[in-house]
Amino acid sequence: MEKNHKNTSIFTRFDLTTEEEEQGARKVSSDPLLQKVGSCVIEGDDDQIEQAVTEALQNKSPLVVTNEGLIAGMTEVSRLWAEGSYFLPQVILSSDAMVVGIKLCEQKLGHPMDKKAKVITHTAEGDIHDIGQVIVNALLSANGFEVINLGFDVPVDQVVSACITHQPIMLTGTALMTTTMSAFPRIAEKLIQENIHIPFVCGGGAVTEEYVTSFDLGIWGKEASQAPGMAEDVLKGLSWLELRQKWNG
Amino acid sequence: MKLIDSMAYSSPEEMMFGFAKKPVTTKSGLVIGGGSVIPEITTHPRPGKEHDLATLSRELERANFDALQRCVSVGHPSIVIENEHVFQMTNNPEWGAEISSISCQMIADFKSKYGLNAAYRSTIADIRKPDLVNLRDSERTEKVIESFKLCAKTADIVSIESLGGKEVFDHCIIRNDITGLLFSQAVLGGRDMQWLWQQIVEIATENQCVPGGDTDCAQANTAMFMAGGFDGKDIPHTLAALTRAIGASRSLVAYECGALGPGKDCAYENPIIKAITGVPISTEGKTSACAHSDLCGNVIAAVCDLWSNEAVQYQNMFGGSSAAVFTEILGYDTAAMNSSIMLGFEKQYQACLINSDRYRDPQAFILCPDNAWSIGKAIVDNANSLYERGRAAAITCGELILADEQLMLTAIEKKSLLGYMQELNTLPDNEADFIDLCLHKYQKVKGFLPAAYGL
Repeated sequence: MEKNHKNTSIFTRFDLTTEEEEQGARKVSSDPLLQKVGSCVIEGDDDQIEQAVTEALQNKSPLVVTNEGLIAGMTEVSRLWAEGSYFLPQVILSSDAMVVGIKLCEQKLGHPMDKKAKVITHTAEGDIHDIGQVIVNALLSANGFEVINLGFDVPVDQVVSACITHQPIMLTGTALMTTTMSAFPRIAEKLIQENIHIPFVCGGGAVTEEYVTSFDLGIWGKEASQAPGMAEDVLKGLSWLELRQKWNG
Repeated sequence: MKLIDSMAYSSPEEMMFGFAKKPVTTKSGLVIGGGSVIPEITTHPRPGKEHDLATLSRELERANFDALQRCVSVGHPSIVIENEHVFQMTNNPEWGAEISSISCQMIADFKSKYGLNAAYRSTIADIRKPDLVNLRDSERTEKVIESFKLCAKTADIVSIESLGGKEVFDHCIIRNDITGLLFSQAVLGGRDMQWLWQQIVEIATENQCVPGGDTDCAQANTAMFMAGGFDGKDIPHTLAALTRAIGASRSLVAYECGALGPGKDCAYENPIIKAITGVPISTEGKTSACAHSDLCGNVIAAVCDLWSNEAVQYQNMFGGSSAAVFTEILGYDTAAMNSSIMLGFEKQYQACLINSDRYRDPQAFILCPDNAWSIGKAIVDNANSLYERGRAAAITCGELILADEQLMLTAIEKKSLLGYMQELNTLPDNEADFIDLCLHKYQKVKGFLPAAYGL
């Protein structure tokens, strides 16, 4: 009775019609040791990466292992995700593996790696749906930012206080419920009162562009995957208004 | 607790929208699953309306009134009105109780004035986030139970979207970890529901209130939303389909504890539940596009008894308030289904619903009545433990997807599914070994407290 309605008037399987042949991962280094480190990141192998990084550190500096092995691997992961060869979990697993590798490099170095900048993340007061924030945290960390994770159900004053203490370049807020996102404009207002004019990227569930761009500092985050790109833009000097003009509207 | 080991329906061909083997009658007199499909409207407040009881109550009173009034305006004969508690309604149990009382009085007034048949479902918010509190022993737990006690006094039906296992699920869904998903949904979620639902059923029964059902919204719907549409890249759609099958083994626990249905609308696993239990179910599809997108907009109506919209925020539209507009849409949908029953065309109508989506996506495919029934059969045939039946549901789901050549998969989807199947097939055979394995593997997941699950 049933027929396969691919490309009929009933529905079109755009996932099939736009499918491209998987190209696989590219080499990240001509050095075998660094390639092994990069491959562990690409495959999200947090068992093998300890051995790979330890071996690489016997001959190379922690900075070289980090930049030309770990970060190069993560860059390839981002490319594979962008082209549709990877799903998000593979990116998260790669991020987990990279964190293991970075810790080993930091131990060898004797102090924490320099991070690009601090970003504070939180899930709105009264909201316990934080999976979006967890993804944002992983992606920001994988891209070299220091994440100050305030967790979920965070009171407005606590968010503001953390911004005063840590002086991040960007704040993110996640909310699933329309009834909890009303904390966002209250946070923005208090930040402005404290003369803190950082971009406040808000996203998740029912959070809309119209709502977030109705208050100063607010930038709507459509997808968690946008967070690293936005943070990079802030590092380049874009103000909250310029960031909004670029990513929203 | 003895797990269900037989099917209410002897074949999928028996299953039809509007008809449940075990219809339910509410204290307001509404019969659900007794031969017709009834609309279920879920209204939701606008942002900012949750700050105090008076404002929130007024908001939902207006929304629920608009829904009832639109039924009268266009001639919809019956309706269920649901309010899913916002956080504040359960965190302050008297708020939810007050709104339930007002809504039920309004329904009685419409019955008296117009003869409109309606019922009210109060869905308590599960504010017990597992990595925030001990699920079985916290102030939030007490508030959830207190909310049931207060709302059951007036509401026709009580339900919940329980959160047991959510902390492990969230960790695993973003790590492609089917073992952890099985543990979180089937074992942790199931064990929490066994603890919670015995209390809910007792409270509801004492108050002549119907203990409706639960949903795997916090887990399987999270997977469905992450899978997204054909342009989604967050997780494979095949993984979302497997979590749906596992979710059925989890949500089934409510009925093993004595829940009577109608199951919650957002439980897309409900066709499987109905095949096993025979209770009436609520489902949502195209009409819930106001809240989220899905790839099974028509097929999910194939065996429904209530037809719902998930939740629509109260606001003005060209055609009236959103509550009124969606009531009208839902009611016309159910009128068409009920007309097909009256005309004897229900099988043909159901075939249209099924064939619209059967090969649209694996998630739709497994919810077609024949496949839903097969997954249900795998669940009852493996009733030795929560784990064994959840695993059987997942394996059967995957086998069904792989066996039908007309269900096309992209290469990456197929590769992903084959990987999950391989992993599922290498897991231990019995629950004790599986739990030992998982307690070790997930001991460091943030906030995971085995004692909260009696482990």
